[in-house]
Amino acid sequence: MANLKEIRNRISSVSSTMQITSAMKMVSAAKLKKAQDAITAMRPYADKLTELLQSLSATLDADSGSAYSEQRELKKVLIVPITSNRGLAGAFNSNIIKEVNRLVSETYANQEVSYLTIGKKANDAFKKTNNVIDNKSEVYDDLTFDNVAEIAQLLMDKFVAGEFDKIEIVYNKFKNAATQIVMTEQFLPIVPVEGEANANADYIFEPSKLEIVEELIPKSLKTQLYKGIRDSFASEHGARMTAMHKATDNATELRDQLKLTYNKARQAAITNEILEIVGGAEALNN
Amino acid sequence: MYLEIVSPEATLFSGEVTSVSVPGVNGEFQMLNNHAPVVSILKEGTVKIAGNIELNEDVQDKFSKGNAGETLLKINSGTLEMKDNKVIVLAD
Repeated sequence: MANLKEIRNRISSVSSTMQITSAMKMVSAAKLKKAQDAITAMRPYADKLTELLQSLSATLDADSGSAYSEQRELKKVLIVPITSNRGLAGAFNSNIIKEVNRLVSETYANQEVSYLTIGKKANDAFKKTNNVIDNKSEVYDDLTFDNVAEIAQLLMDKFVAGEFDKIEIVYNKFKNAATQIVMTEQFLPIVPVEGEANANADYIFEPSKLEIVEELIPKSLKTQLYKGIRDSFASEHGARMTAMHKATDNATELRDQLKLTYNKARQAAITNEILEIVGGAEALNN
Repeated sequence: MYLEIVSPEATLFSGEVTSVSVPGVNGEFQMLNNHAPVVSILKEGTVKIAGNIELNEDVQDKFSKGNAGETLLKINSGTLEMKDNKVIVLAD
């Protein structure tokens, strides 16, 4: 029969673990709400920008914004994996790392691949390859559009300077609190937007259509990266919430089992004691 | 006319206004009701909104009041689209 004290210790350690996991779950739930609101808040901007860009570039001749849409021979590829800074979020980070490794070994097996990591977990995973050109984990400390725009600008500069022929971002797209979808999106060169050429309603363009498009493309790229990071951020909290919920459930189950064992052991001990007393009394009577 | 100002982080304003003046790349210009459709790039400057407007409390601190009672919003850059009496300002 298991030692009573031992079981008691285990019960208390499982209970305290449970407290931690359920607190983490609650914190993530609150942060998830905020992160989701941020995604909703930026949707009007992103939608409008895309709409404007589509209707303008559909009426323009090709070759607009050429610096960002230039297709070059594929030699050097930059992958931007977006993960979280912290763990304990289930398979959230390892899914990204797995996907990047798959990209490197299958799609870009013959190219020279470098990384620009966003998130400590991605940096930890890829720094041993010595191809990490930069790590931008600190963006999570202050997740604003301006800070993300700086990273996007850096990527654009590197592409235009010819340091890389293609830039891909890999991130978790937020579907709901329990589901994240790993997405690989081509960042540069830009994928030509398909748009219906609506007659443009006799717009006055200031300064000119071409200049407007050239101004809008970098903005749309910045928005794309911002959206990716925002999605990843919301996914992280969703994933952590789910993971911590499961952990709490498991801990509850374990604690209940331990309690049962403990009570059984306690009863057995009491029965034993009674038997001994009765036995002793019997012996005296004889 | 209807005015909507959106930034990547929030919708800053939406509602009926009487006029809006924006810092276009080629100089400041003002739009009143039934202005012709226009798409323009905005540079750093101030968007001036006239009319009886109510601001959302969450973003109120981004706006200020001008001398003539107009509402001011500072932007770094942006894009503007005006069509069918609806103005949309994408402010960064």
